[in-house]
Amino acid sequence: MLSFFFTKERQLETLIYSYLENLGLIQKQFVKALNMCLAKGVCDDFQFLADQTHKYESRADDIRDEVNMLMYSRALIPESREDIMGLLASADEIPRYFELILNLIRTQKILIPDFIVLDIQELIRVSMESCDLMIKQIDVMIKKKEGIRALLSTIDQNESHCDHIERRIISKVFDSDLDPFLKLQLKEMVVCMGEISDQADRVSKQVNILTMKRRV
Amino acid sequence: MFSLLGAVFLGWSLGANDASNVFGSAVSSRMLKFWTAAVLASLFVLIGALLEGRAGIETLQGLTALTLKKAVISSFAAAVTVTIMTFLGLPVSTSQAAVGAILGIGFLNRQINVAGLGKVVACWFGTPVGGLVIAVIIYKILAFVYNRMNIDLFESDILLRLALIAAGSYAAYALGANNVANVTAVFVGAGQLSVFAAALIGGLSIALGILTFSRRVMETVGRKLVRLDPFSALIVVLAEAITVHFYTVLGVPVSTSQAVIGAVLGVGIVKGINTVSRRTLTNILIGWFLTPVVACFIALALNFAINLRYVPEG
Repeated sequence: MLSFFFTKERQLETLIYSYLENLGLIQKQFVKALNMCLAKGVCDDFQFLADQTHKYESRADDIRDEVNMLMYSRALIPESREDIMGLLASADEIPRYFELILNLIRTQKILIPDFIVLDIQELIRVSMESCDLMIKQIDVMIKKKEGIRALLSTIDQNESHCDHIERRIISKVFDSDLDPFLKLQLKEMVVCMGEISDQADRVSKQVNILTMKRRV
Repeated sequence: MFSLLGAVFLGWSLGANDASNVFGSAVSSRMLKFWTAAVLASLFVLIGALLEGRAGIETLQGLTALTLKKAVISSFAAAVTVTIMTFLGLPVSTSQAAVGAILGIGFLNRQINVAGLGKVVACWFGTPVGGLVIAVIIYKILAFVYNRMNIDLFESDILLRLALIAAGSYAAYALGANNVANVTAVFVGAGQLSVFAAALIGGLSIALGILTFSRRVMETVGRKLVRLDPFSALIVVLAEAITVHFYTVLGVPVSTSQAVIGAVLGVGIVKGINTVSRRTLTNILIGWFLTPVVACFIALALNFAINLRYVPEG
């Protein structure tokens, strides 16, 4: 009700939700691009989907810039400004990893061997679940609802699970008789993939701390 | 009119210094623009002085008998004391300076209203304690309500900002109502001003101090205070306002700074953290003790200097 009198805050709310929505879209494009790569390698469709991911990632940057501009024009109280800017900066690392992974595959023309495809799909599935839960957790924080700790716990479990899958893939790669250079390329790519759930976990912990800090 | 200059100067410095206790945290943390804060503070100080300034004025002017000359000495001594203490970087209470100066005049008169003085001194002890107790109580009550409110982050921010503006305005009202006596009460005692005129002139001079010279103090002193979260800052301002208003009803001018320190300590107790350093507390105690003593001696010295006469030999 009070927000009728504070247009900047309303604008900010809309922007933050459009950022989160856009984050979901980047995720979808990233998963499509990666699945394309796993199915057909670095083909034109993959290139198109990678470009689409980049487009959504740029849009996320634009929205974040708008949010920051609005914050500097004194929307919200200083403590909330600091918290939200920090939170979005952390969340924004995730699309950066999506882009990094697709660029690694595209520029280095990495061929993902069949014996790790299932593991990579599993790693990405769990990481995407973490991202979805992280977005939900931010929404719960904004709406001041219950359930932050349950989401935190699930994201934390997912992160451990992803670490386990990451180690398993890297072991498989180095146990194989692939070209040593390809092994290093794959290792770099898998480490980047593992970073997604790690970052989602970091954001989730940040949300939890912010929620505790805001309780009086 | 010249005789009122000391009072106007005292009111001006009170406004310039004490506005930071009212809107300092909101302005220094950029929650509120300086001019919004300054206009609100000035307006509410004046309203407070006019509506509830009478009780304090009557208490102070009743502490001793005053002539116009002695009233001028008293207000000038208080103003000089505030300036010296501010220059030394010690926390200063205008109320204590004003009472100390009136006491100096009372010693000269050999006539002091001991009962009135006792009430005033007791309230000085009670101010930080009152701030502390009220802060603890309202923190618990408002935290209970706030944590159960079904509002989102944006609405909660808006609510906190509005509450801080309202609490700051109330604190400005209490400041005007309580501290106007320090500025012009002696002139009522000397028969120079009516109570209404004293409240009006006192209120206007405090407002002038806020509008012309409080910006730097609000922006720097607000930052020098311990960094509080917005909810705690709200509690501190509200506790200060209630404490000062309570003493206004009793008719005793007290220090807003001491009420703030008490409230900050109270918030620290509730949150289980150390909000005020030992050094700050020591400085407050030194300022607390020194201010009335220095003002009393300055009033005596001024009176002595004014009454010096050249007596030619032979």
